Amino acid sequence: MSQLVWNGLFVGSFYALVALGYSMVYGIIKLLNFAHGDLYMLGAFIGFAVLGAAGGVSAAMALPLLLLVLVLTMGVTGLAGVVLERVAYRRLRGAPRLSLLITAVGASFALEYGMRAAAGADPRVYPVRLGGTSLEVLGARVTLQQLALVAVAVLLMIGLNLLVTRSREGRAMRAVALDPRAAALMGIDVDAVISRTFFLGSALAGAAGVMAGAHYGKIDFMMGFLIGLKAFTAAVIGGIGNIPGTMLGGLLLGLLESFGTFWLGGEWRDVFAFGVLILFLTVRPTGLLGERVTERV
Amino acid sequence: MRKLYGTALTAVMASAALLTAGCGQGLLGGGDDAGSGEKKDQPIMLGMLIPQSGSEAAIGPYMSNAAQMAVDEINAKGGVLGRKLELKTADDACDPQTAAAGANKLVTAGVDVSVGGYCSGATLPTLPIFDKAGVPMIIPVANSQELVDQKLKNVFLINGTGGQQAAAAAAWMTKEGAAKVALMHDNTSYSKDLAVRTQKLLDEPGGPETAILEAVTPKESDYSANINNVLAKKPDYVYWTGYFQEAGLLARQFRQAGYKGKIMVGDGSVSPKLIEIAGAEAAAGVYATMTQTPETLQGAETWIADYKKKFGSDPGPYSNQSYDAVRLAAEAITKAGGTDGQKIVAALEAIDGFPMFSGPLKFTPEHTLSTGGFQILVVKDGAFALQDALQ
Repeated sequence: MSQLVWNGLFVGSFYALVALGYSMVYGIIKLLNFAHGDLYMLGAFIGFAVLGAAGGVSAAMALPLLLLVLVLTMGVTGLAGVVLERVAYRRLRGAPRLSLLITAVGASFALEYGMRAAAGADPRVYPVRLGGTSLEVLGARVTLQQLALVAVAVLLMIGLNLLVTRSREGRAMRAVALDPRAAALMGIDVDAVISRTFFLGSALAGAAGVMAGAHYGKIDFMMGFLIGLKAFTAAVIGGIGNIPGTMLGGLLLGLLESFGTFWLGGEWRDVFAFGVLILFLTVRPTGLLGERVTERV
Repeated sequence: MRKLYGTALTAVMASAALLTAGCGQGLLGGGDDAGSGEKKDQPIMLGMLIPQSGSEAAIGPYMSNAAQMAVDEINAKGGVLGRKLELKTADDACDPQTAAAGANKLVTAGVDVSVGGYCSGATLPTLPIFDKAGVPMIIPVANSQELVDQKLKNVFLINGTGGQQAAAAAAWMTKEGAAKVALMHDNTSYSKDLAVRTQKLLDEPGGPETAILEAVTPKESDYSANINNVLAKKPDYVYWTGYFQEAGLLARQFRQAGYKGKIMVGDGSVSPKLIEIAGAEAAAGVYATMTQTPETLQGAETWIADYKKKFGSDPGPYSNQSYDAVRLAAEAITKAGGTDGQKIVAALEAIDGFPMFSGPLKFTPEHTLSTGGFQILVVKDGAFALQDALQ
């Protein structure tokens, strides 16, 4: 039982990290950024390239090196997100919602197959791996490295939450999310705020990419597709646009999958997890913590 | 405006219909002796559907390179019936829709024989397309029983079938004295077929029993939930029948979860990448049911060296089968004296003792290999090596 919970939480924390970017971008410009999962893939490959450039390292140095790579990758992936927004989305901001949606799908394919052209179709394997000895915690088998990854994920999420709720930039973001035009009238540089949002969301996805690469080992150009869909689901469960809700949504989806597999077998896992999702949304369409937004004229 | 648009659309559709009809006739005509006489100076076209994108894209080059190598060798010796061979590849992405589109593309391009087919699930929908066009298929890799069950006259399988592989797997696990076997598949046609067939064989009295039949979702990273399920049944043997990316992750995550029993994988998982993904420690001792690979071939050293020289990398899984598929196609066209589909099929059925990597070839009435040629490999010192030839 505790093993099931732990498995679910571990997978869920990855979903949550990726889902945050989805949720933030949606919250601020009402765009479903379908290329977001591919920024996770991009992060994994950037981390792979940086680690490759760093050359061989001893096992003792693996963890500090990975942390360094993590920070570097977050920066680069964040910038990639900003470029993506500048190139693919900004010009279309006033365009019909569907055009923007299709651009996002296009950006997703461009990233996927661009990466295939650049790095090849073969899956790559991280040169530095988090293997690790496992220990028993409340009857669940847990490795120290898994704990470290979850800790990093939690720290990143706490940091993000503080940034959004406590800082000046965060206040600007919330203002733009509420009403971009009024925010602009109050002297907020809306474009800069949107860029910053993309930077943060993409950096988190990049972090998740590096962590997945280091933990599971295998990365490939399609790795962002499935997790992108899952993260989107998690964001909707939690209440898209709401940051704590999105985190909860990620963890909940991880738990649903873990328990679904246990109760019904792997074949029925997705049927179970998504069936529950449908039921839940019919009862609570705004998600766990999403607020009902009244349409203003 | 709207009306104009509608008229234009109808016109486009009509011309498209004409075009396809024209192509169909051209193909049928091409099948005749008279037709092939007309294009004497044109190359004989071999079509090859392989995964060039998607999850199995890594396999594509192993197959197309080896096929190209066979084509070049045959052309260097003067081609077939005085005509050059030409290889035309198309992407099936290991996906049924993409494969059907690719098959149509090849048929429209006028291929004479198909020598492709890797993922069984993607190959299945291409069977009727090639059949209608009268194109014989020599399928190098795809080996699900479903392909045989279509009972199409133009389909030949030169890889051992799922049934033969399941028999090899069951025989080996019985020989190893396994007690409880966990069968894991990824819900694709080939993988599930192999797992279910193995389960049926294990259900017979004597030998090991099936502890659990567990399906996983391919292309994910974390299989701990599935592994948790499997380990709850306390198996001493795990047989994974899917592809290598998941195989590597599963082997690693099974060991991390403290599983001490044995792990065996099916032929879709035999790739150096499995060892890389799992890591040397977790991959060591993993068994595999597999037909001949370049590594286990006897007397293939010069072939491997030639391949390496030409492409700058080692041949991989199914390079040898793809190479043989092209050679077999050339042989059948020579025997048939032309590119008439029916005559090629008759020539293929009549072939007896054609030398291939898997041994002398003779097809069964079902158009499969008379012996599957499956053997047991084991990961030793970071590579797959022969464990037992199961003779």
